[in-house]
Amino acid sequence: MNILETKNLTKIYGKGDTAIAALDGINLHAAEGEFVAVMGPSGCGKSTLLHLLGGLDHPTSGKVIINGQDVAEMTDDALTELRRREMGFVFQFFNLLPVLSAVENAALPVMLDGVKAEEAKAKATEWLTRFGLAERLANRPDQLSGGQQQRVAVARALVSEPKLVLADEPTGNLDTRSGDEIAGLLRDVGQKYGRTVVMVTHDPRIAAYADRIIFLKDGRVIDETVLEQKNGKNAEMVAERMTKLAN
Amino acid sequence: MNLQLTLAARYLAGRKLRTFLTTLAIVFGVVILFGMNIIMPSMLQALEANMKAAAGVVDFSVTSVSGEAFDPAVAARLADIEEISALAPAYVRTFNLPMDFFDEDPATLDRVTAIQLVGVDPEAVQTLRAFPLMGGRFLEAGDLGQTVISQSLADALQVRLGDTFWLPTVDGLTPLTVVGVLPARTLPGNEEVLVTLAEAQRMAGQPGRITTIDLNVAVDATDQEAREALAAEIQNAVGENYQVGALTSGADVFAALEMGQAILSMFGIMALFMGGFIIHNTFRTVLMERQHDIGMLRAVGASRRTILGMFLAEGLIQGVLGTVVGLALGYVFGVGMLKVAAAPISAFINIQLKDPVVEPGIVLLSIFLGIGITVAAGILPALRASRISPLEALRPTAAAASFETNRGRGFWVGVALVALSVAMLFFGQEAMIAAGGFVFLVGLTFLAPALVRPITDMFGVLLGRLYAREGTGEVARGNMLRQPARVATTASAAMIGLAVLVGVGAVLSSMSGTVFTMLRSNLGSDYLMVPPSIGLWANNVGASEGLVDELAAIEGVGPVASTRFAASATEGIAISLLGIDPTLFPQVSGLGFQEGDESAYGELGRGRAMIVNGAFIMATGAELGDTLELATPDGVQRYTIVAVAADFLNAKVTTAFISQANMAADFGRAEDVLIQLNLDEGVDPEALDPQIREVMQAYPQFNTIAGYAYLDQMLALFETAWSAMYFLLAFLAVPSLIAMLNTLAISVIERTREIGMLRAVGATQRQVKRMVTAEALLLAGIGTGMGLLSGLYLGYSWVVAMEAFFPLEYSFPLAGLIAGLATGLLFGALAGLIPARQAARMDVVAALRYE
Ligand SMILES: Nc1ncnc2c1ncn2[C@@H]1O[C@H](COP(=O)(O)OP(=O)(O)OP(=O)(O)O)[C@@H](O)[C@H]1O
Ligand SMILES: [Mg+2]
Repeated sequence: MNILETKNLTKIYGKGDTAIAALDGINLHAAEGEFVAVMGPSGCGKSTLLHLLGGLDHPTSGKVIINGQDVAEMTDDALTELRRREMGFVFQFFNLLPVLSAVENAALPVMLDGVKAEEAKAKATEWLTRFGLAERLANRPDQLSGGQQQRVAVARALVSEPKLVLADEPTGNLDTRSGDEIAGLLRDVGQKYGRTVVMVTHDPRIAAYADRIIFLKDGRVIDETVLEQKNGKNAEMVAERMTKLAN
Repeated sequence: MNLQLTLAARYLAGRKLRTFLTTLAIVFGVVILFGMNIIMPSMLQALEANMKAAAGVVDFSVTSVSGEAFDPAVAARLADIEEISALAPAYVRTFNLPMDFFDEDPATLDRVTAIQLVGVDPEAVQTLRAFPLMGGRFLEAGDLGQTVISQSLADALQVRLGDTFWLPTVDGLTPLTVVGVLPARTLPGNEEVLVTLAEAQRMAGQPGRITTIDLNVAVDATDQEAREALAAEIQNAVGENYQVGALTSGADVFAALEMGQAILSMFGIMALFMGGFIIHNTFRTVLMERQHDIGMLRAVGASRRTILGMFLAEGLIQGVLGTVVGLALGYVFGVGMLKVAAAPISAFINIQLKDPVVEPGIVLLSIFLGIGITVAAGILPALRASRISPLEALRPTAAAASFETNRGRGFWVGVALVALSVAMLFFGQEAMIAAGGFVFLVGLTFLAPALVRPITDMFGVLLGRLYAREGTGEVARGNMLRQPARVATTASAAMIGLAVLVGVGAVLSSMSGTVFTMLRSNLGSDYLMVPPSIGLWANNVGASEGLVDELAAIEGVGPVASTRFAASATEGIAISLLGIDPTLFPQVSGLGFQEGDESAYGELGRGRAMIVNGAFIMATGAELGDTLELATPDGVQRYTIVAVAADFLNAKVTTAFISQANMAADFGRAEDVLIQLNLDEGVDPEALDPQIREVMQAYPQFNTIAGYAYLDQMLALFETAWSAMYFLLAFLAVPSLIAMLNTLAISVIERTREIGMLRAVGATQRQVKRMVTAEALLLAGIGTGMGLLSGLYLGYSWVVAMEAFFPLEYSFPLAGLIAGLATGLLFGALAGLIPARQAARMDVVAALRYE
């Protein structure tokens, strides 16, 4: 069953001569428990796509359907609740609140849902520990490295045990080893808990952890590939394919 | 809610200086509102205690509605009421004593500043009250020159049974021999000097008159209903010229104090509103600063309500904090002021201040306004915050953009408000005009973003010259134009401060011209004989006509004009009547006419006419030509307003001037409470001085002041009052100037990363510093421009509004404008200094990491 589906999804920025079609008639889907990677050159519309999938932005035309429901038809409150309970986000920029500690940042969606602070923090601590941040729970974002901040953001995306995780360059600031770890984690949550993960990345090694890779260019899906082996061994193949498509 | 409070508290703690400065604005307002409302009610309560102590020992008392003395024959009207068990007429009056009257030592604090002269019928009064004598005897019918006083007063005066002390009276000093001593007084209020009715009437110059009829009744004191019924019956019997119950003497003091309290409360509320405005501004900046955070929160599932709640929680925390601190400081301020002012106050209006009074109502009002205004100030920004879309979090550049699109609607709201305020100016109603000033300010803040460009361009040219070689002026200007909303917010903060400065400057400069002229004509006589309490005349002991005659008889003394006092009321409003001689008064003194002219003096002598002051017009709502019913001891009399004019001494008090002939006929008063005289031309003042002083020696209740000495004294007093006003003004302006510093500092913080980047790519410390300074100057320029503009409007509207009370002529506040301009720019430079240094010293690496 598809948890996520788009129909002719189009997003145009600006008007007239300066109009840019960031997305141009995208049709895609993601099944329950599937780990989908989105790849493509800079400016091809990856972030835009992710924002639309999360209902953060409105498409110019086309539809986003989550759990069989058209996002455009949901009220703001319903959508907010959906994001809080069923979705996890990792953004490309500005992920954390500067005034909250790492654990508080990670616990945010759960706390927003009205769960008691201790309970929420306990959950967040669990995830942060998994990401090797057990020592840095009480630190504020400006006391964390870029990569550590990113890991806190990933922990936050997973803490509410969402059905759908949308991650924009979650490994962008990480070294190879930490990147692999996070990618492995994202794959595991898909397999173990049946969560759907859509991850934007430009790194073929990271993309190779996915079940399926969607290639974007100039706002269109230009290729798609299903991977059999999901442990990063296919990285070279993915990289090759990407370079070929870019030309 | 829990999370919202946490976030709010964290954000506030994260910007301690800003939180402090904005909260300070609320603290300031609450301090004034609360502090002033401790001082004034304390005075009022002391006064009330005085009056109650005088009235409370009997069951009922009947007094004239006018507050004046009346014919004792009224008592006959009560003869048929069976429940009245005892009844006694009395002449009661407070006598203000000159300073150092008894101790003759300026160094020691006077223990007795006023006494309550109580003239009684010795037999009748003993049926009402018990007088447990400690020594001597009680008064007897026919006693003249004998008195009964309490042990405590005897101690204060250092007299014993059989000793004699002197009191000032309308016929000069009168000796009183102590024939009886009562136990020490335990009640608050002035000490009583008991004399026979005839003696009191003689001392006060009102033979055959009484001020009250005291009654005891044979009704169970706990039976409220029966008492009320009886009170109504008594009221019915004595008629509507009299009132049963409270004493009215002192009503004018009450009215004046209440007026003062109202004015000061207005001041506090105004300060609070400014505080609210500053907080509003801060919130607007905060909103811009937190676009990303809010967007992110929304993206991870915070609802609009959560964001709204977070902002309101922030307002709430600041409001509660500011209010609590304000209440505490206000209490300290109020109590401190009372301590400091106790001596001069008790000398001036003759009340002994007791413990500070804290009315629960004012505490509630302070809390309500303090917290309410803060939260209200946050509502619009909070609503806006709740409308921020999650998308704001996702783009590094999204911050500034969303605000400029909002400009359209705000601009038109601003235009509408400014138009409305101008319309209010032509409405002609004082309250409307004064309110218009604020509408104008609010309107300008809405307009501010649109005004940024033209003003920036204007000042930009100047700055361009200044920084020609640096190239930083351009960057600064670019920064302004990039974020007009932020600039406007900062500029509005400066604007309010300067607007108030220039506005009040206009009022003061308009006022000083008028006041000085008035002072000259009003107090410019060669000699002045002034009583201890000026403006509040009721408790002064004056002089009978003999004194004026004596003075006039001195060779070389020209016209002698006196002013007399009588209490009255119209439609329940206490008024202070001053009796003047229509021909003599204009020769030695003068009023400042607002409506009508000098010919009105002549009309006072024909029929019942009065010249009223602005306070009178305000209080009664009457107009020139109206005929009002004034309460007199013998019923109401109809007086027609023939002019509106003011004098310096009575400007604050609801006052009407009538002829002395009318005052004698209708109010039975012929006591001079203020005397002014001129010398004949060519006489040697030095030679005459001893003669005049000799005559005055018997009347120590008057302070005899020669020549322009009093004028100088008054002018000095006035200057002090002026400086106090300016001080308060500065007080009002400072928070908003601080707010400007605050917003400027924020703008630097906001661009931390950008500045770090500039430094990283090669801008020198000096260049960064210059850039920030240039920006501060530009901001100050914009704020100053708008501030001066609205200050002019405010000043004008206030002057127009105040004309109702006070003859005023609008004078263009050129000095105020220049001062405002200088202050604004100077403060701009100062405000830029700290952030500029901060920016220049910024650690490049830390700046780049800053989130
Ligand atoms: N708010 C906006 N207004 C105008 N154009 C925009 C806006 N946001 C994105 N774009 C344009 O849309 C296109 C897609 O942007 P998007 O951020 O989705 O790219 P991306 O694939 O995420 O790139 P990167 O890998 O560099 O992050 C780009 O050309 C970008 O310039
Ligand atoms: Mg992107």
